Amino acid sequence: MTAAALPRKGLSLPGASRYAIFFVLVAVYLAGLAVSPAFAEPNYIFNILRQIAPVGIAAIGVTLVMILGGVDLSVGAVISLTAVLAATLMGGDPANIAPAILVACATGLGIGLLNGIIVAFSRVSPFILTLGMGVAVIGLTQMFTGGTAKGIVAPGFREFFNFRIGGLMPVLALALLLLACVGLFIEKATTFGRQLFLVGTNRATAILSGLPVRGVTIAAYALSGLFGALAGIALLARSGVSSTVAGQGLEFQVLAAVVLGGTTFVGGRGGIAGTVAGTLVLVIAFNLVNIGGLPYQMQLVVMGSIIILASALYGRISERVG
Amino acid sequence: MPLLEVRNLHKHYPGVAALKGVDFSGDAGEVHAIVGANGAGKSTLMNLISGATAPTGGDILLDGAVVKLNSPQAAQAAGIATVYQEFSLVPQLSVARNIFLGREPRGVLGLVDEAKLNADATQLLSRFHIALDPRTEVADLSVAEQQMVEIVRALSFKARILILDEPTAVLSLSEQDNLFAIMRQLRSEGMLILYVSHRLEEILAIADRVTVVRDGSKVGTRAIAELTMDGLVNMMIGESQRAAPMRSTVPQGAPRYDIAYTTADGTQQIAVQQGEILGLAGLVGAGRTTFARALAGMGGKHAATRITLDGKALRNGSPEAAMRDGVVYLTEDRKRDGIFAGIDIIGNATAAALPGLGRLGLRDRRKERERSGTILKRLRLVAASLDMPIGKLSGGNQQKVVLGRALMMAPKLLICDEPTRGVDVGAKSEIHDLLRELAAQGAAIIVISSEIDELLGLAHRIVVMNDRRFVAEMPVEDASEAAILTAAAGGTMTNKELT
Repeated sequence: MTAAALPRKGLSLPGASRYAIFFVLVAVYLAGLAVSPAFAEPNYIFNILRQIAPVGIAAIGVTLVMILGGVDLSVGAVISLTAVLAATLMGGDPANIAPAILVACATGLGIGLLNGIIVAFSRVSPFILTLGMGVAVIGLTQMFTGGTAKGIVAPGFREFFNFRIGGLMPVLALALLLLACVGLFIEKATTFGRQLFLVGTNRATAILSGLPVRGVTIAAYALSGLFGALAGIALLARSGVSSTVAGQGLEFQVLAAVVLGGTTFVGGRGGIAGTVAGTLVLVIAFNLVNIGGLPYQMQLVVMGSIIILASALYGRISERVG
Repeated sequence: MPLLEVRNLHKHYPGVAALKGVDFSGDAGEVHAIVGANGAGKSTLMNLISGATAPTGGDILLDGAVVKLNSPQAAQAAGIATVYQEFSLVPQLSVARNIFLGREPRGVLGLVDEAKLNADATQLLSRFHIALDPRTEVADLSVAEQQMVEIVRALSFKARILILDEPTAVLSLSEQDNLFAIMRQLRSEGMLILYVSHRLEEILAIADRVTVVRDGSKVGTRAIAELTMDGLVNMMIGESQRAAPMRSTVPQGAPRYDIAYTTADGTQQIAVQQGEILGLAGLVGAGRTTFARALAGMGGKHAATRITLDGKALRNGSPEAAMRDGVVYLTEDRKRDGIFAGIDIIGNATAAALPGLGRLGLRDRRKERERSGTILKRLRLVAASLDMPIGKLSGGNQQKVVLGRALMMAPKLLICDEPTRGVDVGAKSEIHDLLRELAAQGAAIIVISSEIDELLGLAHRIVVMNDRRFVAEMPVEDASEAAILTAAAGGTMTNKELT
């Protein structure tokens, strides 16, 4: 009996855990439908896609880092910095839109690179490092802006991203879907994507097998920084206001979405499809709480509970699978 | 009347007779060593006496009466305590809790009486002059201290027979002296200690008598006073002649890897030719693995190698760099740094070769499947599907996948650290065949093994390490188990000595 001759195995228990989030997504959506017929309207679906664009985009990058076994807590600060940076560089002039976006992306990429290099070459815990990086970036943002909202969004910028293609799909929603596809492509189709899973599964084996562990680490954090910057631009496009604290706290929503999607802090598991579903579950749950007339404070409690429940559930499942 | 006597003890596993009728006896107040090469049957013998497995024939007698030791609990109740190589302590609990695990003194409401627990533990520890606070968490103890706790726990069962399985493998010299002191004390108190060890010097130093087993049978029991190291080694390996296995000859003048190995002790030279299998022998702790890892740039701060191939230096600062120059190291510890447990077989096999299998950073899944299929077929991998996680395979099949990963990199200098550890007999000979084939195709191979038979069957030349030094070198034609064991145990060598 040789290995190559046999057929592939069907869906097994690990498969069930991998797809759990999609069942949850269907369940909360059906719950939404039961509560309000508005959930059935295409407009609602595109609206939530638009609404989650910043968190969803940032979560794509963070998923890559977490598959590797790392974490990126600086992403909220990167969103704030890049949003206010882009607004300032635009200065209300449409001609500046492209350079502003480019500079914002380069800044995010730079911060991510720095994260990656420090993680790859030192023994510092990624948790503490990116937390510190986030604090430092918040400080830089405050210095840069003098602590108040700064910069004016160029005319046409918001209009473009919020334009509804065919009267339905906002460009922002499309951007999220496209970037998710890019993320999926990186995860599934590139050598780098496979290496992320290998390093995340067993770093010691990866090193001994001659994998470019440092390079992979740096690239993952750099991508997380870049996606953070794209999320910052998305946030600016959605709100139009460049507050200095726009991204504050978003890292927790991002982490919640990633963990909910089945990517664990241990690394080697999960993926971007799950993350997108996780983001959707979060926002639909919020909306349900809203419709229920619960206050914002209550939303936070719900979000926290969902994260706790989800992690407990994944813990149980992976334990059973061994 | 001896305290312990075994008569005509047999143990058959399906297809294998691990023990073929062994008799021996041990007296109270004696350290009785059990020695034999790997696979000789000494572990089986100890497992029968400790109740871990049941014999298929024969009797075990305590004080002249036949006893049935059907479980470790039964052996414990009969006064037989065992300390294994791998400890069974609970790291999160205190020393005292571990000693009395499951037998804690209870106070009011059935709660553990901590005061009495600690007092009892202190009493036991002080009896053996062990300066340990019973409230310390076991996780905070050194390995030697943990071993002491393990011994004290074993003794707390009012044992009369103590089985120590390779107790010094994890100890430094001074810790070893400490252990011996305790063993002498126990002996003077009338305990029978059955002592299993590879280290012949230790046995000559501590034991009163030694029983030698070989191929599942007893060779003899001797008083230490009438034995020499040579005599002991001869008893262990016997006069048996091995059939010379098929071995290709090393081509004359083939390119040679010259290796300068630098540690805190200085620099030593060693060489291996393309087409040659070099066997590296030595006891656990002799420094073979450190040397092997250093070849792949993983020697840590205190061990480095400089490899030159026909005068040209290789870059082996990291496994990644070493691999580019064809130097590949296969770990002895698959679980730690050999496999990606949750990843499928294809992913494990192609891990190192991924960039070469794809193009422009993109994967070519079909090629990944084809290449791993071809290589794993050559290795006779047995698996239901290449999409199975490697963690679900047997040890032998995991090892084949890890070997497959190395083969995909077309290694020119392959270092295999215990390549057949935890591997079944069939897979073992398949792995051996593969290594011979690779050498015949021109690879230089270094094999580390604790099984001398494996080295004698596989290698063209054998180098022995002791205490981080290459102490002896011999072509396999001149090598013998006796010569290797003597050199590995630190004895003098008759063959050419290395400087």
